[in-house]
Amino acid sequence: MNKMIKSFALLLIVSMALATTTDSGEETRAKLLVSKQILNKYLVEQRDILVKYTLYNVGTGPATHVSLEDQGFPSEAFDLVSGKLEVQIDRIASGTNITHVVIVRPRAHGYFNFTAAEISYRPVESSPNLQYAISSEPGEGGIVNLAQFNKQFSSHFLDWIAFVIMCLPTVVIPYSLFLKSKTKYELLAQKKKSN
Amino acid sequence: MKSSFLLILFVLPTLLLFIDSGNKIYARAEDEIDEDLVDVENEGDNEENAMTGDDVEPDEASTTSPDADTQLLFVRPLYNAGTQLELPGGVPVEFLIGFKNKGLNDFIIESVEASFRYPMDFNYYIQNFSAIAYNREVKQESEATVSYSFMPSESFAGRPFGLNIAINYRDSNGVPFVEAVFNETVLITELDEGLDGETFFLYVFFAAIIVLLLVVGQQFLGTIGKKKRSQTIRKQVETGTSNSTDIDYDWLPAQTLRNLQSSPNGKGKLSPKQSPRQRSKRAAKEE
Repeated sequence: MNKMIKSFALLLIVSMALATTTDSGEETRAKLLVSKQILNKYLVEQRDILVKYTLYNVGTGPATHVSLEDQGFPSEAFDLVSGKLEVQIDRIASGTNITHVVIVRPRAHGYFNFTAAEISYRPVESSPNLQYAISSEPGEGGIVNLAQFNKQFSSHFLDWIAFVIMCLPTVVIPYSLFLKSKTKYELLAQKKKSN
Repeated sequence: MKSSFLLILFVLPTLLLFIDSGNKIYARAEDEIDEDLVDVENEGDNEENAMTGDDVEPDEASTTSPDADTQLLFVRPLYNAGTQLELPGGVPVEFLIGFKNKGLNDFIIESVEASFRYPMDFNYYIQNFSAIAYNREVKQESEATVSYSFMPSESFAGRPFGLNIAINYRDSNGVPFVEAVFNETVLITELDEGLDGETFFLYVFFAAIIVLLLVVGQQFLGTIGKKKRSQTIRKQVETGTSNSTDIDYDWLPAQTLRNLQSSPNGKGKLSPKQSPRQRSKRAAKEE
């Protein structure tokens, strides 16, 4: 009987060991999904464009040595206002995400193709193998002429002043006529009183 | 006997562990869904399916490449695997599809399309969302992400739909593949906001009606009171200005009063009884 129990225990240990090995066989691996979004509704030349990169780690392990590089905003077409187009992120834990924001300003109007950013990371922390990935593409967007944009959306302050000046004659002339006759008759009434 | 029973008790779980049957059952279930999808793609006489439907063979192996690995992630709304996905109606839904090329050939992600289907029969299309063409090249041992967003109609709220998301890609040899990255029943929910514009203006309208009723009521009550008063007044006899004691001259300017009293016609009487002829004469004199 004692021997039997011992054999059971052995069997148990062996099965446990096998179970753990099968578990560790599934190595933890990071997997990044990267979205690149343009948050602006209108893309206007000389105006800020907000670009958001979100890195989602949907893998089982942490992604390390993450580097994101966006060559989609060449310096001859865009001014970098804020943020960096090349970022290094040390670590993205599994099941989390990281957001990176860049503000650029287009120099000219016209159509521009917003391309994907490039990412490289270590999917397995212990091995130096890099995984290369590309983000989602916002696609082609039309950058509006600044004058055209102002025509539609500016406050038109000067235009309103011009409008007021143009309106003045129609208001001032009748008022002056009224004032003239009023003073005239008031004088008459005073004369009557004195009489 | 008892010990052998115990032995079986130990051996059976270990055997199950070795076989790892649990996962395999799930995997098979998914494969079956894929098979359904293939049939759908072939049978569907929809124009959007035509591009894939023509090329795809019913053979299951040809639909997905073993070198490709796809992953779906709902960005908005958030979704936990294993639960039923609930999409709010009238609000855009965003998801990302990660595509990993594990093989040696390059892949080209051609398009992603989503469609709502009848949950009882996935062959029956209810709504097709536009297939977005990406044409992204994914080099070997590389990954790519594509994003897709669509908006379920508000009028679908409260009904379950079969949501099918399919990614079409081909390898460098031009062999097309289709993979259904999502093929489940989703529930379109109604988004109840605390106070939307419609109800707000409904209340404003109600308030306006109440104010209007109050005004009308006040007017009505006022006219009833006036009628009573006018009836009592009517009994009096109109005497005109003959009785000069009860005439109120306060409203007349002092100048006019003085003129009236000093006028020779009036003889100290306050009533301005003056013939128009005399009036015009005096006016002429003044001028």
